[in-house]
Order: sequence, then structure tokens, then C-alpha cells
Amino acid sequence: MAPAAPRLIDRGDLLAALDRAAAGKVTIISAPAGSGKTSLMRAWADRPGQPHRLAAVQVQRDQHDAQLFWLALINAVRHASSVASRAEPPAATPDFNGQAMVDRVLLELADHRGRVILVIDDLHELNSPEALAQLTRLLTNLPPRVHAILATRRDLQLRLHQLRLAGELAEIRAADLRFTERETRELLDASGIALSEAGAALLHQRTEGWAAGLRLAAISLAGHPDPERFVAEFSGSNRTVAEYLMAEMLERQPDDVQQLLLRTSLLDRVNGELADLLTGRSGLERILLELEDANAFVVSLDPERTWFRYHHLFGDLLRLELRRTQPEEVRALHRRAADWFTEHGQIVDAIRHRQTVGDWPGAARLLADHAFSLTLDGHLQTIQALLRAFPPGVPADDPELALVRATSDVFQGRLDEAAAHLAVAELHAETAPADRQRRLRVAIASVKLSLARRRGHLAGVAEQARFLASPVTGQSDEDIALGSVLRAVALYNLGIVESWALGLEDAERHLQEGAVLAREIGRPYLEVGCLAQLGFAARIHSFATSRRRCYKAIALAGRYGWDTHPIIAPALVTLAANMIWAGEFDEGERWLQRTARALQTDASPGISQLLHMATGMLHAGRGRHREALEEFSTAERLQTQLAGWHTLASQLAGWTLATQARLGMSGEAGACLAALADERANLGEIRNAAALICLAEGNPAGALGALHDVLDGTAPVIGDGTIIEAHLLSALAHHKLGDHRAANQATERALALAEPDRLVLPFAMKGSRELLEALPRHETAHAALLTDILDVVHGSSLMARDQPPPPPTEDLSPSELRVLRYLPTNFSRPEIARELSVSVNTVNTHIRNIYAKLQASDRSAAVERARELRLLSAGATR
Amino acid sequence: MDQAPALYTIRINGHLGATALSAFPAMVSQLQGAETVLTGRLDRSALYGVLAEIEALGLDLVEVRQLTPQRKSPEPGDSRPP
Repeated sequence: MAPAAPRLIDRGDLLAALDRAAAGKVTIISAPAGSGKTSLMRAWADRPGQPHRLAAVQVQRDQHDAQLFWLALINAVRHASSVASRAEPPAATPDFNGQAMVDRVLLELADHRGRVILVIDDLHELNSPEALAQLTRLLTNLPPRVHAILATRRDLQLRLHQLRLAGELAEIRAADLRFTERETRELLDASGIALSEAGAALLHQRTEGWAAGLRLAAISLAGHPDPERFVAEFSGSNRTVAEYLMAEMLERQPDDVQQLLLRTSLLDRVNGELADLLTGRSGLERILLELEDANAFVVSLDPERTWFRYHHLFGDLLRLELRRTQPEEVRALHRRAADWFTEHGQIVDAIRHRQTVGDWPGAARLLADHAFSLTLDGHLQTIQALLRAFPPGVPADDPELALVRATSDVFQGRLDEAAAHLAVAELHAETAPADRQRRLRVAIASVKLSLARRRGHLAGVAEQARFLASPVTGQSDEDIALGSVLRAVALYNLGIVESWALGLEDAERHLQEGAVLAREIGRPYLEVGCLAQLGFAARIHSFATSRRRCYKAIALAGRYGWDTHPIIAPALVTLAANMIWAGEFDEGERWLQRTARALQTDASPGISQLLHMATGMLHAGRGRHREALEEFSTAERLQTQLAGWHTLASQLAGWTLATQARLGMSGEAGACLAALADERANLGEIRNAAALICLAEGNPAGALGALHDVLDGTAPVIGDGTIIEAHLLSALAHHKLGDHRAANQATERALALAEPDRLVLPFAMKGSRELLEALPRHETAHAALLTDILDVVHGSSLMARDQPPPPPTEDLSPSELRVLRYLPTNFSRPEIARELSVSVNTVNTHIRNIYAKLQASDRSAAVERARELRLLSAGATR
Repeated sequence: MDQAPALYTIRINGHLGATALSAFPAMVSQLQGAETVLTGRLDRSALYGVLAEIEALGLDLVEVRQLTPQRKSPEPGDSRPP
């Protein structure tokens, strides 16, 4: 039977004080355990007819992870919103951007239509200086109509003096929370306790108006045969209030309630199933519900009332009592709880219980098995805390713990430490029991791949990935689930490394497999990561495919609120680079800025290198060669931090040399060139640079010599961009030599190659203006592209072509498309007819149809519309 | 900051019973009038651990005192071993 209910009483003065405080921005309730902070906030916020919405979070016990705190907070804020959101609930990631998160919470709060009360309870449990600093920023920037109430046991370093000076900060402290004698009387009355005036006064005096003491007393007093005697005895005792009343209260409970309270006190939270498991009885959920209804220091944690927790003070006393009275039971109870939490995938709880009873090997195994999952779930700091909890006596060379340390080091960018821990794990994995060996090996390989990716270590990766060849097997669902996470992580890292090493086909296959697996196992972070890199790998198909994939990845990332998160950076920078290649400089620049924001918190050398390189391309395309050289040089310096050559290394080296030569530093560039090893000097990108240096030195014949292997296809090249460049350089050389026909032909070849993806950048970078202007319009089949390129060369930026997606139009036929390509030129209709070897009437019919389908009234409107719809590139016929 | 353990006495209002005392296994307890005095050799982190327990149990802390301050005299020339 549950104790009778001491109800919350109406503490009018305090509620009025909170009302006054709520006129400002922030209220802090700072008072010791059991002062009635939570009850006050509940009573205040739950008053009927309140015109506000409530967003309440309770900080988890000993919360180390800033991210988990913020996710709980933003979920509460969103939950309080009346506007249904299309976006996915925010999900944890291994690399948390606190700054961006605070901005998001502020945005969500600003979006609320009415008044919002943000309640953060147990803030003293937030064991993360980082999170407190972020919270300070949130509190000082709260939108109007938002009021925050924080409850804490002790004063925190929140640095809110600005708010204090502005009169926006109110404080409620222990003395304010103390019950007055009148309130004590009201509490007793509300609980149906008949006590004399003197008795009530005595009780008030003995408890000093301490809320927890009064509530505990009320539980014991309700139904007590002699309340006056109870108070007199209590008053005559020197025992501390909480302990005395707790013992009294417990003694008055029936045995099943006592056992329930004592045995489940070692849990941070309890449900009916766990209560039954730890007491060996059944149906105890009912008692938990009754205790909550009776307001007996038990509160439910979810709206369905399946999980409960005890008031911390109450729980701590119960736990001490359990250890004192049933010490022989404690270990078994922790073990049972640990097993239950393991089975139910609540690994952090499971590990804590194993650690509490000193089951270090068991705790280490669990932590090692779940290190990746926990990291992906945002528990990075909790993992650190769990690692610290292992006693120094646990062997430092424990392979399981070394593996955990290696995993968390990798995710925190401490690569040397990770490698050292990995070596320890590897060395001792052989001594692990046979049944652990396979799992350890897979985990080790997975960490190695992560490390290889961060280091840009391209060699030996395939070897690490060998375990991917065998399907995920295991004795249990849990084995398979763990295996799947490791597999998805491995595919992601492998795909990235492969795409850097130009194994684009393998990269694409692995990334696609990784994305599918990640979606199956509900790991959106990994799915977004794979898709983001797929944009880059799609270069083997076309720039258009690459763009589409980037947009897809960015859209998915946006649904999870990862718009400017490091995980999406590969798609952002690839999209930016694609636009810059196509001469869409302004739009490309915007995407570069977004990439830079995404990399604020995690700038590993591989991706930073891409950002600097793309920024250099942008400057070069705009003719700002000095700025371009700076970016290229930064990118080259980052290359030295990578252990292998990036796919684009030769491109970067070539452009750096070429930019130097263009800036009149051809001597320097020549020296760098001479210093290159032969196998690199023969790459197409480097030969192009050599040709440009020759041109800068007034040696066009030498340039043609350098280009020979690139143009005949014997020099390896990264892509069409290199060949386009080579044609342009040879055109320049021919031009210098006075052979204008050859120059025009080379320019035309460059245009033809550039047409499908509209690669404008090489023309803008290579100073081809004179060539292009010299090219007779009737000699080119790429007049539209030529016009665009000349626009860019003259300093404008092309409009981004495919965003938003164009409205559907009736498809043009292939012959209409062929005619359409001539519309931007100054060819007359008979001239077009001659070019296409058809009659003028046919051309007229086609043009009429084109106008109709494009809803254009004349030739220039048709051309404009066709540009918007990207119909002017040859690729569009495919 | 001195890292060596030192002897501390911690004075708490009220008499601690067996339950509350079990939270301080490293300390010896003594009743003095209406107060409980806990005594024990603690280093910094142990001291803060004890203070955290006192906070968690809602106890009324009256005084914390270090009995054997082990600070070395800072005078120059005092660095010779004894």
C-alpha cells in the first residue's frame, strides 16, 4: 500500500515571486537538495490557464556529453512547438558543433508564436564546461517572449553578469524556498494530517522549513496513530532530518514496497520489468505508479509512465541503506541490472553497473564492443568518463581498453595517440580468448580504416578492408548488429580513401553499399557521410551526376539539421568545385563559404585541402592569380600532412606551378618542376604546367613539346579538364608561333571537350580570351558555350544552372535540339539549313516548334529559356 | 596546490546515523553536542568527494578544517633535505 499523498500546496508568495522573475529573461533557482525546486517549478508552470508553452528538460545524472544535453533541450523545445516540423528529430553525431546547435535552438525558440518557458532542472549534473559555456550564450541571446528557469543545487559558472546588470536575471535561493509556518500548516492540512498548532510549529522548527523534510514527515504522519508523539520524538532526536524521517518512512511501508525501494535504488531509473527482476516479485509497476500518485519522491520520466526515478536525495539514502543492510545482495543486483541493460541495448548503464561491482573485464568488453556505436550516438565524453573510472590497476595493455582509447582518439583527431593505442590493441589481441579474437580483429581493422582515412593513408587500405568480403555473421542478433555498424563505418572510410586514390569505381560501389547498410541499420550519420562522398566519386560519370548526388546528400543532411556539419562537407565542397568548373563563380563561392562553416569544428587535412584548392580555382577563374597561389600553396602544405597522394595532388601541383609562372615566377616554378620525380613529371597536369612555364619564358615550341604526350593520350590525366587545358595551351603556343589555323583548331577541340559538362574554368584560368575572340563564329559548333565563356572571361559569373529544378517542359526532339544550338549564334536560318544539310522550311518548322515548346516569343527569349533549362549543352541530348 | 593527503575534520549539524555514516567509509565519526565530526586523511579529490556526498545527502555542513597543514616553508634556502 502506498503512503497517503502530501499534495503540492499553493505557495502563493513564491509563485508570485516567480511571476515577477519571469518578466526578465532568466531565473536561477539555486538551493540544496530537497529544497523543493522541482516542485515549485512544476506548480508554477502547471497552473491552469497559463498563456505559455513549456519546454522542460532534466539533466541526466552526471552528464558529460554536451551534445546529449543539447539534443534533449532542442527536442523539448520542438515538442513544445505547436507547428509540426517536417524535419527528422535531431540525431547525435560523433562530431558535435555546439555553436551551430545553440544557433538552432535560438532559431527554434524564435519560431514559436507565443510565450515559451524553458525549464532546465538539475543543471548541476551537467558535467561539461563546454555545454555550460554554450548555455551562457543561449541565455544571453534568448529571443523576446522566452523565459528560462534553471534549477541547480549549487551556483554555476554561467557568467551572466550582463543579464544581471540589465536586471534580466532573478534568483531564488534556499531561504526563499523554506516553508513558512503557515505553509507547513497548509501542507499538513492538505495531506489530511491532524496535528495541533504546537505540533505543527515544532515540526516546522525541527525541519527548518526544509521541503524534503516536511514531505517525508507528512508521508509518515499520514495515518499515524499518534502524530503528536511522532513529532515530539522527532523533535527530541539529534539525528539529521533526512535520515531520521527516511528511516521512519521506510519502516512504515509494507515489505514489498520496502524491498522495491531499497533494491531498485541502485538504478538511475527504473521500470516495472526491472523492479520485478531485482526484487524477484511481479507486478511492481503498479506500486511505482501508486508511489508517484502519492507524491512519494517517485516521478515518472515519460508521458506513458513506464520509467521512473527517485528523487536524488531519497535515492541516495536508500542506496546507502541497501548497502548497509543487504551488502551480500548488492553485487548480484548490479549484475542483474547490467545484464538487463545490455540485453536492452542501454550500454552506458550496463557498463556503469559492471564497473560499480568491479567487474572490470566485463565492463571493458562491453565498452570495446560498443565503442563505435556509442561514439556515433554522441557519447564521446561519456566514454572518456567510463575509461577514467577503470582503476589504475587494470592492465594498461588491456587490448579491449586500448581499442576503446584508439576509437575515441580517432574521432577526436588525436591520430598519433590512436595509432599508439591501436598498436597495443593489436599486439595483445592475440592473447585474447579465441572467441574474442575475431571481433577484436574486425574492430581493429575498422579503427585502422578510420585512421587511414583521417591520415589520407592510401596504401594498405584494401588489406584492412578484407574482412568486408565475408558477410556479417554472429551467434546472436546483437553480434550481427555490432558487426553491421563496424561494416558500415568501414565501407564509409574505405569509400572515401578509395575516391581519393582515384579508385572511383570501387569507391562508388563501397559508398553505395555503405549508404544502403547505414539506412538499414538506422544510422543516418553514416548514410549522409557515404552519400556526401558519392558526389565526388560520381565524377567518373559526369559533372551533372556529381551535382545531382551532392544535392541529394545535402538535402538528406538538411533533414537532420546537418547543413553545416563536417559530415556533409565533401558534398558541399564538391558542389562548389563543380560550379566553379562551370563558371558559376558566385554560386560556387557561396557553397565554399558553407563548406568553411562546416569545417569549423573538424578540419582534417584531406577535406581542408579540397576547400583551399577549390578556393584557389575560384580566384584563378576570376583572374586573381596572387590569391589563387596563396590558396594552392596552403593546399600543398596540407598535402604534406597526408601520408599518401590525394587524387587531385597532381592537379594541385600543376596549378601551383602554372600560377607561379603566370605571376612572373617562372624561374621558381621551373626549379620546382625540375625537382619532381620522373613518374610525377610525366603526369598530364604537370606537363601542362611545364608547357605554361615554357610559354611564360617565350618558348612556344617547347610548350608544344611538353604537351605532346597529353594530347596523344599517353600521359595519364585526371579528367577532361586536363586535356581541355592542354588544347588551350597548344592553341596559345600555335598563336605565338603565328599559326592561327592550328590555334583555332585547338581552341575548337577544347570547346568540343568542354561542351558536355560546360567546363568553363580552364578557359578562364588559361588566359584564353584572345584565342576565343580570334575564333571566327562560323568556325565553331559551340557558339553558345563560347558566348558564356567570354562572359566569364570578361568578369561575370554564370547563373547556377540547376537550382531550383526547372519546371517541366515538353521535350524537344533531337533535330529540334540540333537547330536550337545554332540559335545563340548570328547564323541566319538559311545558314543553319546549310550547316545541317536540311531545307530552310525544315529549319522554320523546327524553330516554330522550339518557340512553342519553350513558350518563347522570339529567338533571344528562346535562347534564354534554353539556357535556363540547360538545353544548350551537347550532353542534354543524352 | 598541495597534493599530499592531509588530516581534515568536517563538522555537520545533527547526528549522522548508520545509513548516512556509511557514505563516509574513510572517515571516523564522533558526536559532539548536536553535531557530528568526521575526521580522516584525505587528498584533494577525496575531500571534494566527501563534500559532494554531504551535498547529495542534503546535510548541513558547518565547518571544514585541515588539521595538519603540510605546507613547506617558502623561505629561500629551505630546500635542503632534512
